[in-house]
Amino acid sequence: MGTRPRAPQSGPVARRLELLGELVRRDVRARYHGSVLGIGWTLLNPLVFMLVYAVVFGDIIGVKGPSGKSYAVFILSGLLAWTFFSQALVMAASSIINNAGVVRKVAFPWMLLTVSSVIAALVNFLISLLLLVPFLILAKAPVGWPLLAVPGLVLVTFGLSLGLGLMLAAGSVYFRDLQYIINLATMIWFYLTPVIWPLTHYQGFFNHGKVGLIAHVIVYANPMTWIVVSFQDVFVFNRWPQHWHGLVYAGVLAVALIWLGIRVFRRLRRRFAEEI
Amino acid sequence: MEPTILVEGLSKRFRIYHQRSETLKEVLVDRRRSRYEEFWAVNDISLEIKGGETFGIIGANGSGKSTLLKCIAGILVPDRGKVSVKGRMASLLEVGAGFHPDYSGRENIYLNGAILGLPRRYINTVIDEIVGFAELEQFIDNPVRNYSSGMYTRLGFSIAIHMDPDVLLIDEVLAVGDESFQRRCMDHIETMRREGRTLLFVSHAADTVRKLCDRCLWIEHGSQRQAGQTDAVVDGYIGEVNRRELEALQSSASELGGSQPGWMGVRLSSVAFTGGDGEVNSVATGGELRVKIAYDSPSALRGARFRVSFYPAGQAVLLSVQTDDGKLGDRLLPAEGTVTLSVPRVPFLDGVYGTKVEIEDIASGRSYVEIDRPQSFRVQGAGRHEVGIALVGHHWDVPALDPSTVQV
Repeated sequence: MGTRPRAPQSGPVARRLELLGELVRRDVRARYHGSVLGIGWTLLNPLVFMLVYAVVFGDIIGVKGPSGKSYAVFILSGLLAWTFFSQALVMAASSIINNAGVVRKVAFPWMLLTVSSVIAALVNFLISLLLLVPFLILAKAPVGWPLLAVPGLVLVTFGLSLGLGLMLAAGSVYFRDLQYIINLATMIWFYLTPVIWPLTHYQGFFNHGKVGLIAHVIVYANPMTWIVVSFQDVFVFNRWPQHWHGLVYAGVLAVALIWLGIRVFRRLRRRFAEEI
Repeated sequence: MEPTILVEGLSKRFRIYHQRSETLKEVLVDRRRSRYEEFWAVNDISLEIKGGETFGIIGANGSGKSTLLKCIAGILVPDRGKVSVKGRMASLLEVGAGFHPDYSGRENIYLNGAILGLPRRYINTVIDEIVGFAELEQFIDNPVRNYSSGMYTRLGFSIAIHMDPDVLLIDEVLAVGDESFQRRCMDHIETMRREGRTLLFVSHAADTVRKLCDRCLWIEHGSQRQAGQTDAVVDGYIGEVNRRELEALQSSASELGGSQPGWMGVRLSSVAFTGGDGEVNSVATGGELRVKIAYDSPSALRGARFRVSFYPAGQAVLLSVQTDDGKLGDRLLPAEGTVTLSVPRVPFLDGVYGTKVEIEDIASGRSYVEIDRPQSFRVQGAGRHEVGIALVGHHWDVPALDPSTVQV
């Protein structure tokens, strides 16, 4: 064999980005492979949920959306953001365990497996945003400059789910049930987030003594409350997010969670290859 | 010069869980912490491997070789000590890890390459070589889930080999693939050696280590047993393995008991092996071996034939002898007795041999009873210059020099 030019040595950052690109490609594709509808599921899923919620909560239970606004657009705008968050958590939680084969055999920045699963959820979310278009047109709801807030909202949501996701991913290696717990937890969390009804709808419940007080604290401490409410501001009311203090809180929490997530992950990764 | 691979006082502890609490129920109901025992899989190992050196690690299965390799590869984090490796490292213990079953072979090359740290543009330049080496030209665009295990491994191997590493870690995986692929792998490894790459080679196959490695480490129960020039270390290792086998044979001598009663209630009650100097289950090449076969039967035996077959452990029968030479013929044998087979000059070379003992009815050819002992005795041939299974008498004719023609 002649002397071939040596393979270029990419820097640590370039190497990670390249790997992340491949992993995201894989994760996004894996989701749709082998299904007839393919990417259509990303649209169909929230659509069906939205219709079910609109009928069950709107028509049967009699929940009222904001007056004079489309209930469909209202539910959809919060639901898409929520789905992004919950899906990212669920996918992140299994991101390491599902790659046991490679973690057991190859030393590389395993954290990228988790990051890539959250990015894959982000890609799904961006596609699912398309679903809003026909409903906005149908409802003749105008959207304008406040759309510029969306990237910021997405960034904060991404940070929240990445931070939590890193902890869940690493924790699941030692404690498998975490995957199932997270499914249950996101279901409960969903009702503590004002997706189906406006934030003001909780008010009566909050006045119900001790339980109401606890619920009040939880709903307000829930960073997704402020994300979802802000999405509703942009798409339903065509206005800039009103609860900016809530958003700042969510942003700070996101940074803190990422910091904590990285620390926890780094701590736990030492025994990954043995425990997985 | 600073070593390429430096391992200092490396120790790795594993946990063995007795009953692992992995599920919520166990954690909640069974409040005790999961119970585990710890053991040191690798204990205080130090190594210095220079650039361009081929280094071997040998030891029995479970001695900690692979754990040590995984610590060097950075997959496992040692509990004590440290590891440092200079340059790009690839390991052949990760063959096919990270393949995505729905991806085609080609897409997996890029994915796997990225996991191993290769930029896409570099893979573009070597992808044909990778595919060619794996002999997968026709299938490279099919999803790997349709690959046979051989194709799968060849592809993984080919990717790892083309990573252009400065340091290559090789686990016992060279046993994969067909003969021709194995040979090409060995050729490639040889080329890398010549190019001055550093190779770290883990194996329990002494021959391969002897062939490839400059220096060698023998580890046992996670600790260093011997280190240094390959020949000395491998000799020590082989000697130890032989000694162990012999001990095991001798300690199990009493257990080489009999069989269950067979047809007509005939039973082999014991089979014993003795060497010329009275050693149990051991004989030197060229020495005398006695096989004492004790049998019993409900009544006297008529027209029975005894057969003894020898074979090297795990291989085909080398020699089979039987009492059907007319001496026993139709003779009536007592209901209980001992038949002794003597082999005056054992032709076998060093190794462990299995023995099969049968008694059958000459007239019908039907077997009364048989015993098969895959490890029955050891032949001590170490130190002899012949290689193989059996010693065959031979003679050399070598030209002699006529002193008168010598020019000084």
